[in-house]
Amino acid sequence: MKNEKKSERRLAYILVAPSLLLILAVAIWPVIQSFYFSLFDYRLNNPAKSSLHLDYSLNLERYLESYPFLMSTLKQEMTQATGEEKEQLTSLQEQLQQVDEEIRADKEVAKRYEQVDEILNNFEVPSEEIKIVPIDEQAAEDLIKTINDTKQTLKSLNENGQLKQGDKLTGLANGLSGAVIEPNFVGLAHYKNYFTDARLWKALWNTTVFTVISVSIELVLGLAIALLINKAFFGRGLVRATILIPWAIPTAVSALMWKFLYDGQNGIVAKYFADIGIINNMSELLTTGTGAMFAVIFSDVWKTTPYMALLLLAGLQTIPSSLYEAASIDGATKWQQFVKITLPLLKSSILVALLFRTLDAFRVFDLIFVLTGGGPANSTETISILAYKVMFSQTNFGGGSALAVIVFICVAIISTIYIKFLGADLISDRK
Amino acid sequence: MQKKAGPLFYVFLFVFVFLVMFPFLWILLSSIKPLSELFGEEAFNWFTSHPTLKSYVSVFVNYPFLKYLWNSTVIATITTVYTVFVAAFAAYAIARLDFKGKSVILGIVLSVSMFPQIATISPIYMFVKKFGLTNSYLGLIIPYTTFALPLSIWLLVTFFRKIPFDLEEAAKMDGATPLQTYFKVILPLAVPGIFTTSILVFIAAWNEFLFALTINTAENYKTVPVGIAMFQGQYTIPWGEISAATVIVTIPLVIMVLLFQRRIVSGLTSGSVKE
Repeated sequence: MKNEKKSERRLAYILVAPSLLLILAVAIWPVIQSFYFSLFDYRLNNPAKSSLHLDYSLNLERYLESYPFLMSTLKQEMTQATGEEKEQLTSLQEQLQQVDEEIRADKEVAKRYEQVDEILNNFEVPSEEIKIVPIDEQAAEDLIKTINDTKQTLKSLNENGQLKQGDKLTGLANGLSGAVIEPNFVGLAHYKNYFTDARLWKALWNTTVFTVISVSIELVLGLAIALLINKAFFGRGLVRATILIPWAIPTAVSALMWKFLYDGQNGIVAKYFADIGIINNMSELLTTGTGAMFAVIFSDVWKTTPYMALLLLAGLQTIPSSLYEAASIDGATKWQQFVKITLPLLKSSILVALLFRTLDAFRVFDLIFVLTGGGPANSTETISILAYKVMFSQTNFGGGSALAVIVFICVAIISTIYIKFLGADLISDRK
Repeated sequence: MQKKAGPLFYVFLFVFVFLVMFPFLWILLSSIKPLSELFGEEAFNWFTSHPTLKSYVSVFVNYPFLKYLWNSTVIATITTVYTVFVAAFAAYAIARLDFKGKSVILGIVLSVSMFPQIATISPIYMFVKKFGLTNSYLGLIIPYTTFALPLSIWLLVTFFRKIPFDLEEAAKMDGATPLQTYFKVILPLAVPGIFTTSILVFIAAWNEFLFALTINTAENYKTVPVGIAMFQGQYTIPWGEISAATVIVTIPLVIMVLLFQRRIVSGLTSGSVKE
């Protein structure tokens, strides 16, 4: 018997393993990585910042494409120079030689140095792994300083017309300065910046307004509809199917549909709203901040209230009708029945529906992206939209990841609060 | 509270259904209007006197709409088949077998299904870019696992739990191993649940927007939601074509919902209602 238990347990772990590994690889690991990205100044459009560097490193390919030629050109220049110039040039050459030796003092760097040099001499292209070598911080700082000095001196000499091959020399010196890769680790700087950035707070506020208002309306309306249709009637299946359609259609497509209906010139819904006086004129819906927020919330309510009603209806149907019969025999009014029987027994259904809806609303993206794009003037920009814009329009993956982590933390806090209320009900074995 | 419905109730019902369906109705009516009647004074007329199918033709002629439909179908189908297959094993173990750490695993599954997509997008984008998977089917199928797999496991666990436990006991008595029990006893009974799960996962994958928007940007690899959303040009929005395209994607959905509404509802509510 014991053996059987053991083998059952082993089988269970084997069956669960593939799913768990997949979830770990495609969901949990990326979230951890997002957090890691958010600690760097990580920009895809900037070659020096398009990967993550904790330490200083040297691009040997660029270095060796400039350094030897800079040295030889300097030497030629020195033989033709006199007096003060000659002294300056000599000192530059000595300094450069010195830092070059300092870099090569590290055995690993020296080895790679030779390797890349040979590859370049054969007119081949070194691979990414070979050409980028981490270097000592002190050496890196000395190198940067020397390169800057060199650039400065050569520039002023060149401007005074004291150099024969001035442009070539300054060009080589510039090439050299691109070889040092500085660490782009910024720690929590992104978070610090964003927490003092009015745009983030505005986005958080917009997200909260959208979430709280739309979810409350959906709950009240959904509950009302569920109570009303919780009876036997003709055409029940048809009604159920109709209310599933808004839920099933892609959000992006429904958002576009609403954009057409809200249109300031030709939108039928905008016209009706203006006719009955909800708005002053048709264009108000998509061109004013309040109008746009209203439009977004209205579309969301249209799309998800039916879903909410279905969830609550399913909950209502599990309440035994004998309870209501007993209550009415005891003389309880409809309202009393609702408050004393329906609400308490529906509590866990309501909380589960609220949990899923709140989280969905908080991470809203498709609806707003297509309907308003976050506008006008960022008045409907939610935190997910802001994060998307920072990442893909500004190609600032570090800052965008920091915003994404903020969304993640908010979602985690919201779920913790709900789960506190729900208890372990949600995941318990219902044997 | 099973009461008979009065006539007033049917009036309410009609109004409710009409309001819910109004946007679709309007889009349907607009899709057969000639271009000139979509704007200006005539824009608010319910019925056009010159119905035309021009917008429908344009959707297929001027846009690679058929390609969008094909891309979405392939991506959503493969995502559904593979995640439901993998999830079925895990769900069986969680629902029917006795082992430690069960609720922790289910807790992980549930929390992952609540992850905001935006929190995973940057590493996933870098990953697919690094492996050259942008603008490919695989480039979306892999990221879609993030929501499809937890959803499948979650739904399947609730379905597996509903199958009577006596059956397993009986199979065990007859000397069947757990794996035999799974394939011979549980799986045949779980077919309806697996089917329901597949419908819901398919809809979720079909509707996904953010990953599709960022990863498959080439015309030839766009999915339906992104394709339609990108119909809008810089300055003009082709409402006629958009209406027609919306009708085209909504019709199969309506048929599916009519056919499977019972299953869809049972799937949607299975995690939230205690029975």
